[in-house]
Amino acid sequence: MIRVFLVDDHEIVRRGIAELIDAENDLEVVGESATVARTLGRVRATTPDVVVLDVRLPDGNGIDLCREVRSADPQVRCIILTAYDDDEASRAAVLAGASGYVLKDIRGQKLIESIRRVGAGESLMRRDVTRQVVADLATVSTPSMPELSLRERQVLDLIAEGLTNRQIGERLKLAEKTVKNYVSGLLAKLGMERRTQAAVFGASVKPPRA
Amino acid sequence: MASFEPIVFPDAARSDLEVTIGQLVEQAQLVLSTQGRLRSLIYANRLVVEGLELAEVLRSIVQAAVDLVDARYGALGVIGTDGRLEQFIHVGMSGAVAESIGHLPLGDGLLGAVIDEAHAIRLDHLNQDPRSVGFPDHHPAMEGFLGVPIRVRGEVFGNLYLTEPTSGSFSAEDEELVGVLAVTAGIAIENARLFDIARRRERWSAALADVSSALLSGDSDTLSVVVDHVASLVDADLVCIVVAADAEGLLDVAAARGVDSELMLGQRYAAEGSLVGRALASGEPVLVTRQEPGEVVEWQPGLGPTFVVPLEAFGHSIGALSVSRSVDRAPFSITDLAMASEFAAQASVALELARGRLDREALELLDDRSRIARDLHDHVIQRLFGAGLSLQSAAGRAPGAVGDAIREQVDAIDDAISEIRTVIFALSPPSRPDASVRHRLLDVVSEVGAAMAAPPRLSFSGPVDLLIRGTIADDVIAVVRESVSNVARHARATRCEIQVSVGDHEIRVQIDDDGIGYSPDSRASGTANLAARAADLGGDYLIAARVEGGTRVLWRAPLIESSTAMGGHV
Repeated sequence: MIRVFLVDDHEIVRRGIAELIDAENDLEVVGESATVARTLGRVRATTPDVVVLDVRLPDGNGIDLCREVRSADPQVRCIILTAYDDDEASRAAVLAGASGYVLKDIRGQKLIESIRRVGAGESLMRRDVTRQVVADLATVSTPSMPELSLRERQVLDLIAEGLTNRQIGERLKLAEKTVKNYVSGLLAKLGMERRTQAAVFGASVKPPRA
Repeated sequence: MASFEPIVFPDAARSDLEVTIGQLVEQAQLVLSTQGRLRSLIYANRLVVEGLELAEVLRSIVQAAVDLVDARYGALGVIGTDGRLEQFIHVGMSGAVAESIGHLPLGDGLLGAVIDEAHAIRLDHLNQDPRSVGFPDHHPAMEGFLGVPIRVRGEVFGNLYLTEPTSGSFSAEDEELVGVLAVTAGIAIENARLFDIARRRERWSAALADVSSALLSGDSDTLSVVVDHVASLVDADLVCIVVAADAEGLLDVAAARGVDSELMLGQRYAAEGSLVGRALASGEPVLVTRQEPGEVVEWQPGLGPTFVVPLEAFGHSIGALSVSRSVDRAPFSITDLAMASEFAAQASVALELARGRLDREALELLDDRSRIARDLHDHVIQRLFGAGLSLQSAAGRAPGAVGDAIREQVDAIDDAISEIRTVIFALSPPSRPDASVRHRLLDVVSEVGAAMAAPPRLSFSGPVDLLIRGTIADDVIAVVRESVSNVARHARATRCEIQVSVGDHEIRVQIDDDGIGYSPDSRASGTANLAARAADLGGDYLIAARVEGGTRVLWRAPLIESSTAMGGHV
C-alpha cells in the first residue's frame, strides 16, 4: 500500500484527487493540508510515502515546502502537481528536488501511474530537462542578478543530484538555513519566487523589463 | 495772352549782367535739381527702412535705387557663403524675358567684379570692360552700368546693380546717391534679419510648447509630432528621426515626413559613414550642402542642404534629427541650425518624459496582465480541474450513454484548461524571452495568422522552451510560419490549430486546418524546404488531407540526448 499526502489550497481539487486515489486498491490518502504551515507537522505524523503538492500556496511556495519535507525525511518522495505548463513545472520540480511533476489535466493526467512509480522509488525527471534547467540557471545574468557565484553553482549542482538541504549543508559544510537562502536566491533568479508566492506577489517585485 | 519774344539787339555784345544772370539761373536750376534728387533719396531711404520682411525689403531697395537714378534695369544680388550669388532680385525686366534667359546670373564677369572688389564700379559701356563676359542669349542690350556693394555690419551682404540710365550714362552724383542708399539698405536688411530671427524664435517656442503638450498628453505618436513641427519651421523638404537600432552599429529611421519619407521610414542601415552616425559619434551637429542618391546606402534619395542634430536628454542619446531640403534649394542659415539644435535639445527632454510615462503605463499593463494570469491560475484552472475530477469519477459510476456524455464534457474542460495555460503563459512576462521558443511562436502565429478570419489556436505540450533550443527552434518556427501562412493564403480555412509538443523522444509540430484541402502545386515552394529541414535532423515531414476535411501538416524530429551525463539520481 502506497501512503499519499495531499497539499493543495483548493478543497475541490483535494477532494477530486482523494476520490481518484481511494478508488485504487494499492493507494490510500493518509492526510491533507491547505497551507505550508500545516503541512510539516502532519507529514511527520502520518509518515506518507509520497507527498503530492501544488507549487503555489497561500502562505508560501511549494518548492521550499518540498525541500523542507525532504530535508526532514529523505525517504519521503514528492510529486509537484501544478496548473502551470511543462516548462515551469519542470523548473519547479528540479529546484524542489521532487521526483516528478504532474500537470493539472483531467483526462491526460498520469497522476495515479506517477504516484505508483514514485512510490516504488523511481524518478520521473528527465535527464535532458534537468540539465537544461541547471544550464539556464547558471547562465541567466541580468544587471540585478549577476551570474551564479561558485557557492550557488555548487548548491545548484547538488540540488540537481536530488540532495536535500540537510545533505547539501553536510556536503558543503554549511548550515541548513544558509542552504535555504541559496535556494531562495535561485528561485528569485528564475522569476519563480514571484510566480509561486501568491500572497506577496506584486507588492514588492516589479517585472524586470517594461 | 500775348507772347513776348526776347528782345535781341543785333551786334550788341551780351552784357556781363546777362552772363551773370544766366549763370545764376543755371546754378539755381542745379540746386533745384540737386534738391530734387536729395528729396528722392530721402524718399527712397524711407521706403527702404519701412519694410520688415527681408524679401520685401530687398525688392524695395532695388526699386528705390532704380527710381533714384532713373535706370531701366536694377537688381540686387545676395552673396552666398561660397562667394557667389545666392539670390538675385531684379526689376525692369519682364517675366517673359527673364524666363527666356533661363537661369539667374551666378556672379561671373562684371557682377563678380563688384563682389571681388567690394567697391562701386561705374561704366558707360559695360561690354567694353575687360572684366565683362558678355550676356547670355535673349538678354536685352545694356550699356551704362553702376554696381554698388551693400554692407551689413561691415560685411558685404550683396550688391546693387543698375543699368541703362535714361540719361545715357551714370554720373558721379548717381554713384554717390546709390552709395548712400546702400548704407540705408544695409541697416534695413539688418533690421529685417533681426526681425526674422525674433519671429522665428517665437515660432520655435510656440512649436516647442505644442510638441511638449502633445507628447505629454500622450495620444499621438511622439516622434511624428516632432518631425511635423520641424518640417514646417525650417521649411524643410524631408525631416527624419533616426534612432540606434537594437543591433550594434545599426540605425533605424523611426519617423519621417516630407519628400521621399516613405522611402526612408522603417529603414535600417549602418551608422558608419552616415551623417547620423557622424553626428551621434561626435555629439555635434553635422552640416552638408548635398548628398548624392545612394551615397551612403543604396535606397537613399538625393539630398540637398542637410543638417543632423543629435538628440540627447538626461545624459543619454535618443537618436538624431535629420533635416534636408531639395537639391536645388537654398542652404540652411546659421539661425536655422541654431534654433533646430535648441529645439532638438528641448524636444529630447519632452521625448524622454513621454517615454518615461509610456514605460510606467507598460509597467501598469504588465502588472494587470500578471494579476489576470494569477487569477486564471489560482482560481479558474483549479476550479475547472476540481470540477473535471468530480465529473470523471461520476462518469465511472454512470450508465453507458450518460457516462460517455460526461466524458465528452471532461474532454471539453481539459481543452479549456490547456487553452487557459497558453493564455497564462502569454500574459506572464518572459524571464528569458530570447530563449523562449514559445514566445517566438506566439509572435509568429499572431503575425502570420492576422490575415485569417479567426486567429489560429496554438497549444504546447511537454517542456517546449527547455528542450527546443538553438537551430531546432529556428526549424520549428520556420515550419509553423510557412505552414500557417500557407493556410492563410491558400486554404480558405475557418479554423487552424497548431500543436507543438515535446515527447520523450521526439519534437512534433502539427498544423490542422479545415480548408479546401491540399493541392501540391499551390504550396510546393516552401514545403520542400521544410521536408529538407526535417530530413537533416533525421525526422520527417508529412502533408495530407484529413478525413474530416482540410489538411494536416506533421513535422517531426527526434530529440537527441547529449552524451554528457549530468550525474546524480536522474
